[in-house]
Amino acid sequence: MTTIPSWAAVAVSGLLVLVAVAIASWQRLGISREIVVAALRALVQLVAIGAVLAWLFAHAGLAGALAWVLAMTFVAANESRRRGQGIPRAYRSALVGILVGTASTLGVLVVGGVISTQPQVLIPIGGMVVSGSMQAASLTLSSLRRSAIDNRPAVEAALSLGLPAHQAFAREMRTAVRTALIPTVDSTRVVGLISLPGTMTGLIIAGVDPLQAIRYQIIVMYMLLAAWAVSALVTARMAQGAMFDDAQRLVPVAA
Amino acid sequence: MHVERRELFTLEQVSLVIDGRAILDDVNEHLHDGVATAVAGPSGSGKSTLLRLLNRLAEPTSGRVLFRGTDVRDLDVLELRRRAVLVAQRPVALTSDVSDEVRVAAPQLTDDDVRRLLERVSLDPDDHLGRDPGSLSGGELQRLCLARALAVDPEVLLLDEPTSALDPRSADAVDTVIRSLVASGLAVVLVSHDVLRAGRVADDIRVLHDGRVTARGPASSLDLEHELLNPPTDGHVHEVDDLRRHGDAHLPHDHPTDLTPEQP
Repeated sequence: MTTIPSWAAVAVSGLLVLVAVAIASWQRLGISREIVVAALRALVQLVAIGAVLAWLFAHAGLAGALAWVLAMTFVAANESRRRGQGIPRAYRSALVGILVGTASTLGVLVVGGVISTQPQVLIPIGGMVVSGSMQAASLTLSSLRRSAIDNRPAVEAALSLGLPAHQAFAREMRTAVRTALIPTVDSTRVVGLISLPGTMTGLIIAGVDPLQAIRYQIIVMYMLLAAWAVSALVTARMAQGAMFDDAQRLVPVAA
Repeated sequence: MHVERRELFTLEQVSLVIDGRAILDDVNEHLHDGVATAVAGPSGSGKSTLLRLLNRLAEPTSGRVLFRGTDVRDLDVLELRRRAVLVAQRPVALTSDVSDEVRVAAPQLTDDDVRRLLERVSLDPDDHLGRDPGSLSGGELQRLCLARALAVDPEVLLLDEPTSALDPRSADAVDTVIRSLVASGLAVVLVSHDVLRAGRVADDIRVLHDGRVTARGPASSLDLEHELLNPPTDGHVHEVDDLRRHGDAHLPHDHPTDLTPEQP
């Protein structure tokens, strides 16, 4: 194992914050204060989350870990909601999308014996899945919102021919889910070439053999592909249900 | 010849209020089958909204809309929209192929059906089949949208400003198609801000101002320009009976009611 930095080492790294502050004040960027505040916030937040995780790993057990992942999905859905502003019940659509995306993906990994159910595995992996599902839900809602505004004439033209909402809106739904999947497909394609992703970077720093570290990374990439796809599809379906009323009308979506 | 005109749409005390503003205000109208009825009025008069009430793209705040005597809310909305197809002001292609476009809501149509529909809207199948609707002119695309609407075999076409986005020559071509459809028995309800053009296409006219009908009558006997420029301010509806049916009708006002020159 490689050595883990001491608190004294962390203090030394604090000098690098001073470098940034020195540049900001020398160039009169007017953000010296913000840099200091941001650096201190990062310190406090990470110490806090470290303490919480240490406690969770020691005491939470499987139920506690799942509760933690569930809590993350609520926070994530609240974040996604903002991308769908103007779409009715956007929070619910995002929440269900992220929940189903997370539960199905983690479920396969656990039932398939790919990952263990220890909190120190479930919580960080769950966090990655929730985060990916959240980005998929956000991109989906954002695309649907744009479509509801820009493509209203086309959607209403189709509705006016007696086509049901799911047909009149099919093109917009496909666009939304495709748009949501592009980032993860792209990052999956170039993984290892452009960036060394977080999971294997962490393992390698912690001293794990690279050929073992990449196995974890491969699992993570595949897991994220599924999480993004499921979350995008479920969020889109939920949103479509909320965007059309009983008379098959596209509800007003504020620009 | 007196022909009993069957009622197509009935609007009973229809009002629509959005954000405290009355878009439509106590509209009571009977629109008839087998003819073209134009709802003419300046922009913002509520005429497009009125059209959207007929296929339930919009819902009145109060009052009700009947289609052949049945409240539209009691009809299956998808069926209503196939019986009363609305064609929007700005033609939008939904596919990237003329033939797919005609079939978009009627996938069962044969190639021959598609050709016949194109001919019915004066588009030459040999010229247009296989093309991308995006490559058509505005007038051609508008007529393709008419063909797409006719493909579902509607009982009435609802046309929102069918020619307003077109140059005069294309507009005339679209008007000619609309007249031929009416002649073949199809009912048409169209809205237009161009009251003179509406008068040439339609049999019946309703003039709409600020959400209220201010004049109604046969296109041939209303002085349309006058109606549009001088709406009654006292809530009175200027009604002109059908001169063709009642040759001795007295006209209840003091200006010429048809387009013949005024006597000196």
